[in-house]
Amino acid sequence: MAERPPQQPLQPPSEDPEGTLRRQTGAKEQPIIPDLLSLPAGGLRQWAKTSLFGSTKDTILTVVFGAILGYIAYRAVVYVFVSARWEVVFDGPLVAYMLGNRFNQTGLSHVNVWAAIYLLTATAGLIAGVSRANGNRTPLKVALKILAAPIVGVMAVLAMTRTITPALLVLGGIALFLVVRTAVPRLPDAVLRRAGWISMGLTAIAFFVLTGGDPSNVDKFGGLLLTIVVSAGGIVLSFPLGVVLALARRSSFPLIRPIAVLYIELIRGVPLITLLFMGRFAFGFFLPPGTRAPGVIPRAIVMITLFTAAYVAEVVRGGLQSVPRGQTEGAQALGLSPLKVTRLIVLPQALRNSIPALIGQFISLLKDTSLLVVIGIPELLGITEQVLAQLKFKAQGYQPETYAFVCLMYWIICFSMSRASQRLETRLGVGQR
Amino acid sequence: MSAATSSPSSARPPLWRDAKVIRWVGQMVVVLLALAFLWWIYSNVQANLRVTRLPRGFGFLDQPYGSDIRGSSFRPSQSVWEAFKVGYFNTIRVVALGIPACTVIGIAIGIARLSENALVRAFGTLYVETFRNIPVLVWIFLAYFVVLSGNLPRIEDALEPFGIAIFSNRGIYLPWYEAGPDIAPFLLTAGLGLLMAGLVAAWRTKVHERTGAPHRRVLWGTVVLLATLVIGYFVLGGPLGMTVPAKEGRLIQGGITVDIAYAGLTIALVLYTASHVAEIVRGAIQAVPKGQSEAANALALTNFQRYRYVVLPQAFRIMIPPLASQYLNITKNSSLAVAVGYYEITRVYSTVANNAAPPVQAVIILMGLYLTFSLGISLVANIINRRLQLEAR
Amino acid sequence: MSDLTADKLRAGALKPGGTGEAIITLEHVDKFFGDFQALKDIDLVIGKQEVVVVIGPSGSGKSTVIRCINHLEKHTHGRIVVDGVELSDDVRNIQEIRRECGMVFQSFNLFPHLTVLENVTLAQRQVRKSPKAQAEQEAMDQLTRVKIPEQAPKYPGQLSGGQQQRVAIARALAMQPKVMLFDEPTSALDPEMIKEVLDAMVELAQSGMTMIVVTHEMGFARAVADRVVFMADGEIVEVGTPEHFFEDPQEDRTKLFLSQIL
Repeated sequence: MAERPPQQPLQPPSEDPEGTLRRQTGAKEQPIIPDLLSLPAGGLRQWAKTSLFGSTKDTILTVVFGAILGYIAYRAVVYVFVSARWEVVFDGPLVAYMLGNRFNQTGLSHVNVWAAIYLLTATAGLIAGVSRANGNRTPLKVALKILAAPIVGVMAVLAMTRTITPALLVLGGIALFLVVRTAVPRLPDAVLRRAGWISMGLTAIAFFVLTGGDPSNVDKFGGLLLTIVVSAGGIVLSFPLGVVLALARRSSFPLIRPIAVLYIELIRGVPLITLLFMGRFAFGFFLPPGTRAPGVIPRAIVMITLFTAAYVAEVVRGGLQSVPRGQTEGAQALGLSPLKVTRLIVLPQALRNSIPALIGQFISLLKDTSLLVVIGIPELLGITEQVLAQLKFKAQGYQPETYAFVCLMYWIICFSMSRASQRLETRLGVGQR
Repeated sequence: MSAATSSPSSARPPLWRDAKVIRWVGQMVVVLLALAFLWWIYSNVQANLRVTRLPRGFGFLDQPYGSDIRGSSFRPSQSVWEAFKVGYFNTIRVVALGIPACTVIGIAIGIARLSENALVRAFGTLYVETFRNIPVLVWIFLAYFVVLSGNLPRIEDALEPFGIAIFSNRGIYLPWYEAGPDIAPFLLTAGLGLLMAGLVAAWRTKVHERTGAPHRRVLWGTVVLLATLVIGYFVLGGPLGMTVPAKEGRLIQGGITVDIAYAGLTIALVLYTASHVAEIVRGAIQAVPKGQSEAANALALTNFQRYRYVVLPQAFRIMIPPLASQYLNITKNSSLAVAVGYYEITRVYSTVANNAAPPVQAVIILMGLYLTFSLGISLVANIINRRLQLEAR
Repeated sequence: MSDLTADKLRAGALKPGGTGEAIITLEHVDKFFGDFQALKDIDLVIGKQEVVVVIGPSGSGKSTVIRCINHLEKHTHGRIVVDGVELSDDVRNIQEIRRECGMVFQSFNLFPHLTVLENVTLAQRQVRKSPKAQAEQEAMDQLTRVKIPEQAPKYPGQLSGGQQQRVAIARALAMQPKVMLFDEPTSALDPEMIKEVLDAMVELAQSGMTMIVVTHEMGFARAVADRVVFMADGEIVEVGTPEHFFEDPQEDRTKLFLSQIL
């Protein structure tokens, strides 16, 4: 067990990744997911005695729930390794799940996809490296704890493909991330300061590479690739719109506020599917007669953006409310103009406080892309219909396996994002002031 | 700058620097831009409707719907508006069952996650993390295509648990009550029983206040009510019957029919939303300051009393807004029924839209119907919230 | 109040101390919050290099007065003139007055997402448009003046309350204001930290800064104030030099207040 560290001067949460400050002051630690794998002092027997068999009621509960969990585990293992017929996933259709059925019509290849992935990995390494240069040291084992579940999941899936190349590519990506992360703090200061712009540039290049320079290729994407592209597009576009709406909703101008409120409450009152239907059936009517309506997927992205922006606005509004009024007054007293007060003082603090809720909203967005199946767009969930319709799989009850695979994919992505968000929330010390 | 006069009003500043003017002009500009945008959209819609020769008003609502609606007595010649009404009622059926069910399950799972027993906690965590990280539509697909539609046998080989229900791929048939001809006196008896239960509960409360003995008024009231119902049942000669579904060849007689699509949709929605409710409940209980529990323990309250009198009332207040938001979600997610063919309002809309109804008007109707649900739930939640605040002051 | 006392009051309020040259003038200033009148017919003239201490019970309007001077609150009637510039709806006037007035708040209001150095240089660079090197030099000068130059690279959350308030003073001073406004600067501090902040304020007064200080620290008032203003229920009740004020208060309300706090 770690020794109590000597009294250190108070540190800001960003320099205190292990929460030593919280332990020193005795503040309540709030594990969002109880860490089931940590054992208290005294080892396994002691733990079992207190938390499993402490009283008669406890023992009964342990037996009952132990039986339930055991049964679930047994059935799951039997299904995955024995009774499931995985050829519907791995004997060929895997490409369809990942890239969609029409990807080979675009003239792009796997090289584009992996190049884009590597560019984004490098960008992530850049951001991690910059954060390290600023003094946030995440010990490697903490980083591994966060990433363990998704990495294991992905490797397991790839292992089932029985080819070595995807596994090598994934390992290569991880290596690239670590290399960039270590190398970046050595870069000159001028480069580090521009890191934000460089990241955006790299991301834009990644998108360019992915679409081979022709954005209309997105119409031919499918499967997991399409899910990610639509989610990313929705996140990037809805964020600024949401911030503007939040500021408008809080503004003291009596004419602007109702407009924002009306938009937000209207959008939040209707299901996303209605907006998607509007995009599918009615979008063309909103443009002047004769203009060509954009493709199905861009329309869907627009609708998802409009939808998410309203929710982002509510999250950011909460963040704005959490900034004490004294901050605005202090800035005004210094002579800063209202625009500068918002931009330099209020908004940075508000956004920082909103980050965990924003990540939660973006996880929801990713899950909501599954609704595209209803308007006929073959993202990850929708592609299953096309796979199942293939002649060799038709009408043989392959649904459980396909849906199980799709579930696994979603689960890996959403779980890793929510774990990372919890980690970020602890690090930022949101709400601790 | 300006000369020092002693009159209260100052020289008017130039217009472009006057703070008041800037405020108003700025707002007017934004409002005018917004109105201009809306006008542009509106005129585009009108132009397009003219070009495609689609009707411009809401007259399509009176046109015949043109198809059957499974599970109801709707006829294809009835109007689109009638179809929407049937769909609206079907949405209510999902919401009315879904909200209580997800609350009950969610509270149970939320409390499980806070249990001292590690296995119970593990079960709760497993439940929440499984359901939360997979989109609700995937769960609906699983529930309908895999569990129900895929696995339920044909009517000839239907499952018949305990001999009183029938599970087949044409529907789920459950036993249901049947009111005999003399139901009115029994209902009166039931009303009487409720009244007496209330009186007994009040009496026990008085006893408790006077002597300090535990009032157990819920127990007393329930016993009184049940006793009245049972006595009344036998005295009146059994006015209530039960119908059990029975197979006759390929037909089913008696019992109540549960549509498979409805079952799949509702089960998936309930289990999914329950995972969110569980997190809300857990978060609310943990948000009650630790000092409250410490004070309760220092006053020697038992675990149960601590929860009942200190923790849960405060947690309840915290829970209301996020719970209302989840209820809104379950209502909006019922729209996904369109994927499994359950005829709530989105499904009706989809048929109407595919039959070349004017899309803009149809979508407006659909959104308006959902707004009735949203506004209703928000209103109720706000009222409850406000009442709780008053009591806190 | 009798006419004689009212005249004497007005004379005391209107006669600026310090160099005698008026720098802030409040004429017949009223402030309403809805139906509630927070300031009633305030007349006050502050002279250059004068140190005025405003005291009074809570709710007396003393914070409202200085918040009206730099337009954090908008006065309902009357005239406020700061260094020749009248406070009106003209945004240019408002910005100019805010540049000339520095303000120190009870709750410090330091920007937690910026370092101490960045806190002090921000307004210089954004409002006075100083180049970065010059702003940082000025910042370090002011931080040295309040005796905490070594805290420059830290974040406000890492400093004690007394240190944070001194940073707030340096932040206001870095803008080279003509007047410094203090709104109960030590009320949120633990007792052992009050002295360091008051020392900084005393040094400031002795260097010739015009200061209006709302405070409960009577020792400070006795030591450096040129005039003491007592407010209650939104009006100025009594004005005088510290000697006159603490030894020989005239009004009953003043006597009552002093008996409660001294």
